[in-house]
Amino acid sequence: MIPKVSYHAGTLGLHRATPVANLLLLSGFLIVVLAAPGILVKLGAFGLVMILTALSGEGVGTFLRNIRFVLLFAFVLFLAQALSVRDGTVLFSFGLPVTDQGLLAGAQMALRFLVILSSSLLFVLVTDPDRLAHAIVRLGIPYRYGFILVLALRFVPFFRREYRTVREAQHVRGVDASIRSLAGLRRAIRYTFLPVLVSGLTRVDSVAISMKGRCFGLYPKRTVTRKEHWHQMDWVTAALFVLLLGITVLARRYAWL
Amino acid sequence: MIKIEELCVRYPDRDRPALRGVSERIEPGEVVVVTGPSGCGKSTLCRVLAGFIPGMIPAEVEGEISLDGVSVWEADPARIATHLGLVQQDPDAQICTLNVWEEVAFGPENLCLAPDEVTARVEQSLDFVGITHLVERETTTLSGGEKQRLAIASILAMRPEVILLDEPTANLDPEGAKNVFDLLGNLRESEGRTLIVVEHRLEPLLTLHPRLLILDEGAIVTRRTTRRHMDLDELGLRAHWDLHPPSIGKSREKVALTVEDLSFGYNNASLFEHFSLELRPGEILGVIGPNGGGKTTLLRLIAGLEHPSKGRVVRSKDSVLGYVFQHPHQQIFERTVRGEFEIEGGIAQERLRHTLSEAKLAGLEEVPPLSLSLGEQRRLTLATALSRDPDLILLDEPFIGQDRWNVMWIVSQILTARQRGAVTLLVSHDIPLVAALCDRLLYLGEEAIEGEPNAVFSHLEAMGKEAFLPTYWEGMRA
Repeated sequence: MIPKVSYHAGTLGLHRATPVANLLLLSGFLIVVLAAPGILVKLGAFGLVMILTALSGEGVGTFLRNIRFVLLFAFVLFLAQALSVRDGTVLFSFGLPVTDQGLLAGAQMALRFLVILSSSLLFVLVTDPDRLAHAIVRLGIPYRYGFILVLALRFVPFFRREYRTVREAQHVRGVDASIRSLAGLRRAIRYTFLPVLVSGLTRVDSVAISMKGRCFGLYPKRTVTRKEHWHQMDWVTAALFVLLLGITVLARRYAWL
Repeated sequence: MIKIEELCVRYPDRDRPALRGVSERIEPGEVVVVTGPSGCGKSTLCRVLAGFIPGMIPAEVEGEISLDGVSVWEADPARIATHLGLVQQDPDAQICTLNVWEEVAFGPENLCLAPDEVTARVEQSLDFVGITHLVERETTTLSGGEKQRLAIASILAMRPEVILLDEPTANLDPEGAKNVFDLLGNLRESEGRTLIVVEHRLEPLLTLHPRLLILDEGAIVTRRTTRRHMDLDELGLRAHWDLHPPSIGKSREKVALTVEDLSFGYNNASLFEHFSLELRPGEILGVIGPNGGGKTTLLRLIAGLEHPSKGRVVRSKDSVLGYVFQHPHQQIFERTVRGEFEIEGGIAQERLRHTLSEAKLAGLEEVPPLSLSLGEQRRLTLATALSRDPDLILLDEPFIGQDRWNVMWIVSQILTARQRGAVTLLVSHDIPLVAALCDRLLYLGEEAIEGEPNAVFSHLEAMGKEAFLPTYWEGMRA
């Protein structure tokens, strides 16, 4: 259930851009899906995420497999909207009428969710959290906030491993924690989510102790040793941001579908 | 100088104090080794000295601790860390960043040192612990031994006067442990740092001529300078196992578990190729080898948690499996200790009482299991796994952080299960213990070597794997 996406070093595509450039591009995707009205623009944005995934050497198939729960949830959002909106022309019916407005609203909602999640996960995949924290500090944001982000990203693979181990422990002990009913959900919370949460909180405590034990927070500022230099790929990324911004403005002005 | 006066520490949910009336002086340049049974207060002492108690971990404290005349109670842990660096037991829990270079630079950068100075310290520290070649690696890809060296390097880079190490070799294979002990020797000789080491394995530390502090039930019960093995013998602290498990006799004719021509690997790296193994009822197989050699993977394959690319694992369909993971909290699900026994169908009241009493968990039936100490949690997971009378027992590093009494309890459980014909696979880095307890050993490393313990040790000796030989081997060779 936890997407198998976490940062790893690479040399292709967005891996070569600085964290600030990648952050800029991510904000471009967020602006386009939240501010542009049409579904074609959102479809295009999702296509661009997939192209960038491929150019960064990540493999579109693997990426989609790893975010299959995100895709599934997007589909559920689409269905819920399509079946609950009654405005517009009825296209067909199977118990509940499905209207053109319902389908459009469902697609809007699902694509918005999909682009936000997939572009964020691509960002996680190609951006070194340590370099990102340093970049944030250089932008003038207090370093404590930068490291909150680093820790959050560091904990994604940890939670995934713990979740897997806890499920295996259930298997070994013959515990059925599948969610098939309300009682099943209660069992899943007790047998799966609580142990993972306890592990997570224990680990957060340990890392907090470790950080304090290495003088974190001793001074208002800290040294940033590694410097970032603006490369060719950063200009490409910045150009994509401008492109996404331009499309948003045009889509709003001409009310693109 | 560290001065501790009448120190008492009590955790909020415990009746008995974790430390009581501890007084000690540690002079600059001294090497002090702290040892004692599980739960005796060793880790609490580390946390108090580093300033984490009561600042970050709530507890009632009395008495006084001062570092170079400054009271620990009045200082922020980040300030204390400029004088005293703590290397935690679990290196995974200590790593704050995702890259080796960043990890070592983390402390010096927090100290606001100039970038050139940070770079110089990173290079020197990595060089000192011998992992310069890992400088650009992601921390998640390192082995246990490499992570422990990184944890030490990241503390060294801050250049504290006192280095405190909480069981630095607990998770390491014998070779990794030897490297860490060598490293401590270098620190003592070339750097002259004050070292405080919490450790169960004392023999490798004798070359440092440490002052030994033995804690029991929160108090220092023995202080002594140790130089020779004889000193440990006199204190009853030398690891020596004289178990002589009873023979399994006729059951040797049948086969209880077969691993047939098995192949398996991760990420294109092969761990097993055409690997085969047969175990008979009652047999105890000790699985040893370096970190990353495939010991846990073998248990997972046998338990059906991994699927081989070739070959198969054959065991009777109605055989009952008892699998104890390395980290007990991952196998605890219920709200009470009693509830843990009910997951697997429950056991009779009388047997539950007897089991809990044997495991020194009596009176804790209604206690939340996650509030137990690590040693208690481990005994609980073993007791619940064995409550179903399994035919196949898989134990992954059950002796980590356990005192002699706990180890003997675990051994007694294995031997009881052996009497009723259960097969046990025991993964452990405790070479003398597996040598004394197991019928056969399996070394998983560059190659798989399986056989009677002494035959495996002969093979390992020929391969130059000295760290995997038991201490008695030296005598046998002579």
